[in-house]
Amino acid sequence: MSTQIDKQIDAQATAPAEIADPTAEELRASYRWMLLSRHLDERMWQLIRQGKGHFAVPCGGHEAVGAGYALAIRRGYDYVAPHYRDLAAMLAIGLTPRDVLANFFARAADPSTHGRQPYAHWGSHRLHILTLQGPQPNHVTHGVGVAYGAKLQGEDSVTFIAYGDGGAQKGEVHEAMNFASIHRVPCVFCCENNLYTQSVPLSLESAVSTIADRAAAYGMPGVSVDGMDLLAVYRAAAAAVVRARHGAGPSLIEARVYRYRSNTSNDDDTRYRSRAEVEEWRTRDPIPRCRAELLAKGVLTQDDIDTLEAEVAAAVDDAVAWAESTADPAPEDALLYTYAEDVL
Amino acid sequence: MPQMTVIEAIRTALTEEMASDPRVLVLGEDIGTLGGVFRATEGLLERYGPERVVDTPMAELSIAGIAVGLAMKGLRPVAEIQFADFIHAAADHILGEAAKIRYRSGGDWSCPLVIRTAYGGGFRGGPYHSQSVEAFYTHAPGLKVLAPSTPADARGLLLAAIRDPDPVLFLEHKRTYRLIKGEVPEGDGVVPIGRATIARPGTDVTVVSYGMMLHEALAAAEMLRTEGISIEVIDLRSLLPLDRATILESLSRTGRFCIVHEDTRTMGFGAELAALAAEEALDVLKAPVCRVTAPDVAGIPVSPPMEDFVLPNRDKIADALRQLVAKQTRHWASADLARTAAPEPSLDPWTRSALEIPQAASIVEVDLSQVIAYQEAHKDAFQARGVELNVTAFVLQATAEALVALPEVNSAFAGESILRYGSVDILLEVADGNTLKRGIIVGAETRNLRGLAQAVSSILAGAATSTLPEGGTFALADLGTEAALLAVPPVLPGHAAALRVGAVTERIMPRERSLVLVPRVYLTLSVDHRVLDGAIAGRFLNHIKTFLEYPTMDERT
Repeated sequence: MSTQIDKQIDAQATAPAEIADPTAEELRASYRWMLLSRHLDERMWQLIRQGKGHFAVPCGGHEAVGAGYALAIRRGYDYVAPHYRDLAAMLAIGLTPRDVLANFFARAADPSTHGRQPYAHWGSHRLHILTLQGPQPNHVTHGVGVAYGAKLQGEDSVTFIAYGDGGAQKGEVHEAMNFASIHRVPCVFCCENNLYTQSVPLSLESAVSTIADRAAAYGMPGVSVDGMDLLAVYRAAAAAVVRARHGAGPSLIEARVYRYRSNTSNDDDTRYRSRAEVEEWRTRDPIPRCRAELLAKGVLTQDDIDTLEAEVAAAVDDAVAWAESTADPAPEDALLYTYAEDVL
Repeated sequence: MPQMTVIEAIRTALTEEMASDPRVLVLGEDIGTLGGVFRATEGLLERYGPERVVDTPMAELSIAGIAVGLAMKGLRPVAEIQFADFIHAAADHILGEAAKIRYRSGGDWSCPLVIRTAYGGGFRGGPYHSQSVEAFYTHAPGLKVLAPSTPADARGLLLAAIRDPDPVLFLEHKRTYRLIKGEVPEGDGVVPIGRATIARPGTDVTVVSYGMMLHEALAAAEMLRTEGISIEVIDLRSLLPLDRATILESLSRTGRFCIVHEDTRTMGFGAELAALAAEEALDVLKAPVCRVTAPDVAGIPVSPPMEDFVLPNRDKIADALRQLVAKQTRHWASADLARTAAPEPSLDPWTRSALEIPQAASIVEVDLSQVIAYQEAHKDAFQARGVELNVTAFVLQATAEALVALPEVNSAFAGESILRYGSVDILLEVADGNTLKRGIIVGAETRNLRGLAQAVSSILAGAATSTLPEGGTFALADLGTEAALLAVPPVLPGHAAALRVGAVTERIMPRERSLVLVPRVYLTLSVDHRVLDGAIAGRFLNHIKTFLEYPTMDERT
């Protein structure tokens, strides 16, 4: 299966000439976002197994997508309607490990939902991260609306919209892509294709194996890239963002990825995926690949890597210890925020 | 003030608000070049251009979803769903997204959008161009739902909706668009969200409605005026939030409640209004709540006779109101409500008492010295006022006092619950020579000794009956000097207890180291054992005994 994917990626993942490679500083930052995302992800999985927290949404395997597009956008200025596995992008844009763990434990300090939504329902008005919902992928039309609004307001911001291969099958995405293309809305559609909608394989979700092919039907460019390759994602995202920012309209990126753990903490992936398949995809893990590439380029030394590893582990320890001890919301705070004012 | 139709008022509000607020834009199907299928957006494209007047694909889901994004971005989108029948494709974005965005983000994000849609039947539109959808969307905290019925409210509420910080579903009844004309104030004229208005004042029934049915209700009220029935009509205007205070205030004056809506009955918006009355106004209702709605059919048919059969109209509303005015509830816990007769029982009350009510009796002996002394001292004064003062009046007074002090006795078993009466209405049975006279003393607790004595006199002056009058909340029998020493009275259906006064007899009793003759009487209380027990019966009897034996009767009366 992976050989097939490789062919597809080789055929389509060509970087536009005008996209400059990231600086060494940017590459180091991206590697850190991915590493921090992975450490947090693993820790939350452990916590759930210890009976702590309420819900985990593993994102291991998806890190290069979030880090890659976060590198391509103007973080905090451009808007993102993220996929719920984009922890790396959230950390890049400005959510802290403490924010993430407060969300995980549904504490009062959870900046995304104030204890109202389960883990991974991101959101920050300040950081231009749209508040996320449960039903996938309802945020896709929201992203188009935000982008259309930004255009009306005379901004040059772009809205980056990410969703899964499951979401891509819904009418929501068709309507959103159609409208966005008609009006050259400044947005990017990014389908993170991890080959499964929870348990249902891509072959039962879509008659075409390359989601990017659908772009043609909307009159927009579509590329399929190795979503476990930071630079491949960055190049495709940067090209799409530039295009959108300059009024040329939306693009579709398909990022081919694999999720290493179950769909959520309530899922058991052994019922639908072979261990051999999972192990094969482990060999393509985006983090060791990125590390090797940056070592080879001389962007990182082994000392840098060791230091980063220790620093990230400490940040996760701090976030967990803090979030475990921070306060729950007051029960009656459940009555707040249905309306701007108390009108009922 | 200019006269305009509802559709003109809506167009005016959109035109004005787009001129004054550059954040406002409209989007929907056919709203640009065509000006909307109902022409609500006519002229907007020419004035404000295609970026702010967006003809969308025929795709309701994304009309709502994109409007949600626009609102989150800080714009003020007004999306049109051409027919309310098509809104369900957008429901996830209205119910699941717009209504929840503020809440789920802990107040970090908000979603100030307006979704306008044309609803309602009467157009021969069939099942997919006639629906009323308010019940689905008023079950969504976080959303506001408005349903104006007049041009002034259509304009004023639409302005309020666009300026509101929360998402608003704006329901426009398509029959009002061109049929309803009225004055629309110039200038601001914003109508606050969440306030109903009394469209017609009245005294006999409160009718609550909205949209086109408001006008049908007003027509019905006018029909009934000539029949001497005064109908108050409340125009809700805002369904969510609901102006509960205006409805309850009106109900407190009329005591009768009729809800009119075009939507089908079960779980319709009227169910919430009926629940409001049940929770907050049961004590003022003189009759059961009445709903005039479409029957529970799966769609509005296109055939004119069938559609007319299904939809409510002024004649159906008037009929319902006539029936409502004629109805009275049997038992309610309020002193100011007259209870009416029970339905004709198939058996006489004594047989029903024996068959239906498990009974137990308790007895006390009462010293009547003080009562008789008072009676002797004041007999002439009472007679001078034309009132015969007798022992029965004293017992009545003591009983009324006890029923107020222990209101659980002034009640009745009612199957799954116990009715507690708000007024003390004593069914009195007294002997007049060889005959029995019976009558009900309504509001006994509000009468003084003279009033009670007068009531006894008037029952004695009435005709003898062999049957019991129906009603009352408690029965008292005092059969005078010819009576037995003591007797056990039957508890009558609709009561929880009955008291029997035995014959007054003089007995030799020790008092202050001597023997005296003392007038004494046995009082027997029977109780419905499903409602009361021996303990409460004893407390009740002793309350009466203490009252009658109280040594300074003068001070009390």
